[in-house]
Amino acid sequence: MAFLTSLMNALPGAAAQGLIWGIMAIGVYITFRVLDVADLTVDGSIATGGAVAVMLIRGGLNCWLALLCAFLAGLLAGFITGLFHTKCGIPAILAGILTQLALYSVNLRIMGSKANQAVGVDKYHLAVSQRYVRELTLSNPLPVLLLMVVIVVIALYWFFGTERGCSIRATGANANMARAQGINTNADVVLGLMLSNGLVALSGGLLAQFQGAADVGMGRGAIVIGLAAVIISEVTFGKIFRNFGLKMFAVALGAVIYYFVLQIVLQLGLNTNDLKLISALIVAIFLSVPYWKEKLIHKKGGMRHA
Amino acid sequence: MKKFMTLILALAMALTMVACGSKKEDEQVFTVGVVQLVQHEALDAATQGFTDALKEALGDKVNVVVKNASNDPQTCTTIVNGFLADKVDLIMANATPALQAAAAATNTVPILGTSVTDYASALEIDNWSGTVGGNISGTSDLAPLYQQAAMLQELFPNAKKVGLLFCSSEANSKYQVDEVTKLLTAAGLTCTEFSFTDSNDVSSVTQSACDNSDVIFIPTDNTAASNTEAIANVVLASNTPVIAGESGLCKGCGVATLSIDYYELGKITGQMAADVLTGKADISTLAVKTAPTSTKQANMANCQKLGITVPAEYTALATE
Repeated sequence: MAFLTSLMNALPGAAAQGLIWGIMAIGVYITFRVLDVADLTVDGSIATGGAVAVMLIRGGLNCWLALLCAFLAGLLAGFITGLFHTKCGIPAILAGILTQLALYSVNLRIMGSKANQAVGVDKYHLAVSQRYVRELTLSNPLPVLLLMVVIVVIALYWFFGTERGCSIRATGANANMARAQGINTNADVVLGLMLSNGLVALSGGLLAQFQGAADVGMGRGAIVIGLAAVIISEVTFGKIFRNFGLKMFAVALGAVIYYFVLQIVLQLGLNTNDLKLISALIVAIFLSVPYWKEKLIHKKGGMRHA
Repeated sequence: MKKFMTLILALAMALTMVACGSKKEDEQVFTVGVVQLVQHEALDAATQGFTDALKEALGDKVNVVVKNASNDPQTCTTIVNGFLADKVDLIMANATPALQAAAAATNTVPILGTSVTDYASALEIDNWSGTVGGNISGTSDLAPLYQQAAMLQELFPNAKKVGLLFCSSEANSKYQVDEVTKLLTAAGLTCTEFSFTDSNDVSSVTQSACDNSDVIFIPTDNTAASNTEAIANVVLASNTPVIAGESGLCKGCGVATLSIDYYELGKITGQMAADVLTGKADISTLAVKTAPTSTKQANMANCQKLGITVPAEYTALATE
């Protein structure tokens, strides 16, 4: 019972972290699933978003405007990866790695050559802070974050329904066919990468405010969490959600589930030195389930035909 | 689906309220949560010292839970969230990102930091008076930079160019490098920064530092501490002496150091924790403490290789 109460106590914090990473995961979903491109820029652009937001807030800008600027900085990062890929003919995965590498130095520049910049909730008005996650007041970050996720999903749902959005989806589904229809697939790839990294940077800006500091190392391994959220959402909600908008919302829920599982593992009192191993196992299990399921169905079907 | 989520959230919040109501009657046993940034010799020693001092002062009346974030600032947040859910009586945050995560999460539960070099920039305090105030205090691992700079000049009176070698992702290192630069520039020496990104470019950056300096200074840098072998291979080959910020670094690749003992630092933090828990000290007025100055130490094997003779007051570092 003590374990359950402590777990229930921990859930709001895990949910908030999950929702922030959910926005990032939706960004990953756009490149990984819609555009069918493996983009590794995100490890860098999430820290760029955090750095831009924190430095602007420290400079006196409103936290929402700072988040908007973080989003714009992310668009720019994605644009660079897009140029590397489409104009320089660098394979997408390498283009992403190159930008990620470059962003490390850029992020240090943004943060005034410091590896870590604090942004305290006592000093500034922040959009979200972990401080209030267990309080039943208006400053609780959970409703704000839920609202943001819903707005992001609605905006993307609208966008991917426009002519431009549809052509991005067509490019991801079948680039040759899309080109045959007169679509400029290169422009669509660049636009998709920009949008994705913009969302990732937005989530970085939220993350930095939530934990009270931007750190140059905050993006380390971000892509793994993003991919995990996408896979978890597909395994858990794949059968229920067919609608494109709901699928994106499910991706955000996937990130929440990831953080719930992580928090449970932590609350169980396992040795935290094994944390990375456990994270990898969580993702591996969610990745294997659909494969095993398919194998099982295939086996049965095969027998029937025999 | 949204309804379902709302239901879960409402349930979580309701249970939180229930949990608030049923606070333990028996207040005898304190729970202390330790959040440590990364598995690292110095940080491990600080945590060990903290635990030992706390057990010594309070015995069975305290329960210390140690959790390590494996170098992920985000995981610090998750760990702190768990501590607050468990209603710990005190949080010990080992290293800067851990302290920031804890400070962002609560302004009621007492927080003690350790292995944090500069509280003013970690928590963004403008008029630093030595006391954080609120629910935060702790110990600083700020090495005696003034004495270190003096040591460099004492051992190498003819040196003109000093190379400062550190990792660009470590806020503490940059702070120390800036401070040392001020001191050495004032003494008429030329300082150049050589920062590496991670263990992959340590060798090449060290090589260019050696080529352009008479002496190298390395602050208490975690990445450098994990790569002393790679640094030693370059500096010893090019006959460049290294003044190190802590004994681990000096043991691996340096000639001399004037370092602090992280175990002692942890012990001081542990005693502070015991005072806060038993009500002997008020955390809002508790000043940040530093470690007592330690002795000058030299790596005799490396001194011999480089043909440096150190004054008799230096104690030899135990190298295996």
